[in-house]
Amino acid sequence: MSRETLQESLSAVMDNEADELELRRVLTASENGELRGTWSRYQIARAAMHRELLVPQLDIASAVSAALADEAAPARKTPIWRSVGRVAVAASVTVAVLAGVRFYNQDDLSGAQLAQQEASPVLSVPQVQGPALLAGYNSSEETGEPAEVGTASWHEQRLPSYLRQHAQEAVMGTGETALPYARAASLENR
Amino acid sequence: MRAIPLYLLGGLLALPVQATEVQDLLGRLAAAERQQSFQGTFIYERNGSFSTHAVWHRVEEGGEVRERLLQLDGPAQEVLKVDGQAQCVSGSLADQVSEGQAWPARQLDAEQLNSWYDIRVAGHSRIANRPAVVLVLAPKDQHRYGFELHLDRETGLPLKSLLLNERGQLLERFQFAQLDTSVPTENAMQPSSSCRPVRFRAADSMAEGSWRSDWLPPGFTLTTAQVRREPTADDSVTYLMYGDGLARFSVFLEPLKGRAVEDARSQLGPTVAVSRRMSTDAGDVMVTVVGEIPLGTAERIALSMRAGVPEQASQ
Repeated sequence: MSRETLQESLSAVMDNEADELELRRVLTASENGELRGTWSRYQIARAAMHRELLVPQLDIASAVSAALADEAAPARKTPIWRSVGRVAVAASVTVAVLAGVRFYNQDDLSGAQLAQQEASPVLSVPQVQGPALLAGYNSSEETGEPAEVGTASWHEQRLPSYLRQHAQEAVMGTGETALPYARAASLENR
Repeated sequence: MRAIPLYLLGGLLALPVQATEVQDLLGRLAAAERQQSFQGTFIYERNGSFSTHAVWHRVEEGGEVRERLLQLDGPAQEVLKVDGQAQCVSGSLADQVSEGQAWPARQLDAEQLNSWYDIRVAGHSRIANRPAVVLVLAPKDQHRYGFELHLDRETGLPLKSLLLNERGQLLERFQFAQLDTSVPTENAMQPSSSCRPVRFRAADSMAEGSWRSDWLPPGFTLTTAQVRREPTADDSVTYLMYGDGLARFSVFLEPLKGRAVEDARSQLGPTVAVSRRMSTDAGDVMVTVVGEIPLGTAERIALSMRAGVPEQASQ
């Protein structure tokens, strides 16, 4: 793995935009002294942008360990549920990492991002939404488990349906290339 | 994609060479699928999904265009279209198809695209062993994504299409692995037995006027408005679709009937989904925006939906 790749991943973790792969990459390398140094510099740069003083340290390993210890063991009845469990763990790991960042840097809600030249729209983006949808979508048709009441089940039912309706509406449009078809087909694959 | 009106071509003589070349390429792209038979295989890739597909595209002597699409790995998703209208669809692709009359014939309108995208020729490439011209469509505002199109030098067909976000990150890839311009045999055009005739789901009524939007990203116009019965619920859902000529998004408005549901945001490859709870006189409604548009734009659209008949036509 190249140094650049690792630094990009680290930057993504800091900006709360890391995918599961990037997160694992950073966690694997977190014993590396150079990476810890880079993390510290990123934090100092960010703090400078926020006019804060801090002494950053890359200590996500212990936070992640704590999160994993708290996490209930994922159910292992079917392959589908196994993957859902993995996503859920990854989500809580993300939260743990971000909690670690916040510990040193209370003011990262404004969205000022080191790797980004222009400010992104000011949104309070919940950290776990992406994985949560994936999990809901994968499990929506495959299991006989009772659905949870409330938010999770509404989103699990509706979002896959809405995504498909959107994709398939585009397929049926006249005078199109194969692209909308391919998008719709990709929603049906697992 | 249909041919660009002739009057557009007439006005181009005075433009610089680059602009002329762009218009020429867009014109050929628009005409290619109406005039050119071809067959080939392509890949589609987005975050979390990679699949391979075959396409047989046949232009009949009378001008009728027949196209068969088949996924080559995993489940055998299949579609047969005649003049753009689906005739048969396989498996799970079929369950959400709605009434056919609502779709206006969409045309690739170069003038319209020029209003919302900076279009330029970025160079040359080789895709599926064919020389291609690279066309970049960079959005002029932050409300849509950019495209990179690799068009076949010989036919104008899109050999490769990339969707890029505002930081240039790849959101999805569509790319031919092999393409030839021979006419597919009658045999190859025959759908398999699992391709079932399209059954249309009931749309209760057209929904025009029951909802309006205080704000839309510039260039997007309403193309579909329906009230649908949601298959997973007893509720009627208002469905609206908007497009700018390339990108499109859908808006779903569903009465919550007292259920407690939280707002949510998700991204699946190129497609974003934003759900926002909205209070109306008739109770809370969940507004869900789904489309190939940036998250912030989807968020603003969701915030801008309003119940009731518009006083004056919204933009």
